Amino acid sequence: MEWTSSLIVPQDSIKSNWLIPAPPKVLSRQLCVSSALHRKNLAAAGPEKFSEEFIKKQVEEYNIGKRHLANIMGEDPETFTQQDIDRSIAYLFPSGLFDKRARPLMKVRPEFLPGQLKSVQWGADGRPFHFLFYTGKQSYYSLMHDTVAKVLAAEKQQVLLLSEGPVPQDTKPISLVGSRWLLKEELEELLVETISDHDYARFIQLMERLLSLPNCLSEKDFVQRYRKQLEIQSSKQQVAPLQYDENGVAYSTADGRRKTATCTVLLRDCGSGSISINGRDYLHYFPVLQDREQLMFPFHFLDMLGRFDGQCTVGGGGRSSQAGALRLAISRAMLSFLSEGQVESMRQAGLLTPDPRVKERKKPGQEGARRKFTWKKR
Amino acid sequence: VSASSIGRLVMLFLVRWSRYNPYYLEPEPRKELYNMPETELTTEQKEERELKAVRPIKATTNSTTSSVFNDPVLSKFVNMMMRDGEKILARGILTQTLESLKRKQVEKYHKAPQGKKAEIECNPYAIFHQALENCMPVIGLASIQKGGKFYQVPVPLTDNRRRFLAMKWMITECRDNKNRRTLMYEKLSQELLAAYSKEGNVIKRKHELHKMAESNRAYAHYRWW
Repeated sequence: MEWTSSLIVPQDSIKSNWLIPAPPKVLSRQLCVSSALHRKNLAAAGPEKFSEEFIKKQVEEYNIGKRHLANIMGEDPETFTQQDIDRSIAYLFPSGLFDKRARPLMKVRPEFLPGQLKSVQWGADGRPFHFLFYTGKQSYYSLMHDTVAKVLAAEKQQVLLLSEGPVPQDTKPISLVGSRWLLKEELEELLVETISDHDYARFIQLMERLLSLPNCLSEKDFVQRYRKQLEIQSSKQQVAPLQYDENGVAYSTADGRRKTATCTVLLRDCGSGSISINGRDYLHYFPVLQDREQLMFPFHFLDMLGRFDGQCTVGGGGRSSQAGALRLAISRAMLSFLSEGQVESMRQAGLLTPDPRVKERKKPGQEGARRKFTWKKR
Repeated sequence: VSASSIGRLVMLFLVRWSRYNPYYLEPEPRKELYNMPETELTTEQKEERELKAVRPIKATTNSTTSSVFNDPVLSKFVNMMMRDGEKILARGILTQTLESLKRKQVEKYHKAPQGKKAEIECNPYAIFHQALENCMPVIGLASIQKGGKFYQVPVPLTDNRRRFLAMKWMITECRDNKNRRTLMYEKLSQELLAAYSKEGNVIKRKHELHKMAESNRAYAHYRWW
């Protein structure tokens, strides 16, 4: 049983109207609160709140302590990482406790890292710092407020320019191609606040509106903060370096797969243009024109038809998938002979993507992957 | 609603799906487009190039190459003629058709008087494309339910649909109205030549569709798209 004192004071500021009865006057008295009720109240208060200066002080103390620790251990304070700290603490304070969480630890609380927790948004007097605090989502609404201010400024400027004379406007002053809007999760992370889908949609709508105005070039930095650059796909290609055999002839090997067919290809920069598959000539191995076309596709695309000499081994799958696997392996082997522009055009022609299509599985209750059993009325 | 949730909803309700993420773009196998210098591109093409630089690309299909002989319309026609996955047979029939077209036209060319020689088209590919274009319907019919009854409403068709109908009619015509003794490529070349000169059963079928659409034009307002 815990004793909490609470004071209920009548509201003197409320002027009692003759229509509304006056609130009852309650005198201050000790309230006896049981531990169960006390526990419930703690939970209702929500997560623990910290003020900005408290967080800053904790981080500063941690940094100072880190430097002291580095000096103690005789290491360089500038390059002292968290791993080094853990190692040093384990050395200086050896603990035989089984529970790892009970051992001594020197770390910044994960909530105090920048962008994780919102510090208490009001001062000692209880007044909030931000004017939009009572909206509940102050960062989101302040962002919308700023964006709308920019939109209005841009429109005003446009009206002024139009009044001076008709100005030829170029479409899309800010290029949008290499980037995308931040996703809702990323925006939430940026604002350190949860927003709803509707809020996110409104935000994107407003940004699109800002971009549709002709004189939005000045807000380029502002807009780029909320766009994420997409990485260039060609940088993901792994090009193996060229190898040379004893005669000085350049060669490269590569693997390819399509459905269940696997193959390996060895391309030599001979100048003969002959390709042997599993020891046989490609004309004998692939009697069908379509397969031979697929084999020659990478060579024909880069105009290197008679340049290379190929030795291939292929197994598994059918004739078409073997041809597809060989095509992929040849394209990959040729990468080491090519410039970056050619690699990018190969990628855009679809030669470097492994084909993900496989046989679809049969489902229970059906005869095949898609075919259903014959429908019988009774 | 975020894009990922829309994608997931689509996955639940549509049966036709692909092994590729919808983020992937279609490949472009023709090599002339990659040799164009920077100055000859329009702004749209430049934007498309920038977009392609950041997006992953699907793999090219088995029947597409960068060769000059690769024709998407012909590939589609071969796939439509194919039965039970026998692509070799279908492609063989098409090659024989084109050969027989060429032979017939060259025969006509040699028999024709000097003045008429220039009018005879000997390129079988040109004949094929022109014949298909002559068979393509301009307007189609859609079955729309209104007040418990189904009406045949005249409706505009997309290019893909028109091409598909032309090819489908051609193939069904050759399969059904073929003599037992004539081979498929023989009948197909006869039909293509007839369609090239705007005669024959396929053209007749196209005209019948047009007449039906014309007669049903009173119901045109039933279309809501």
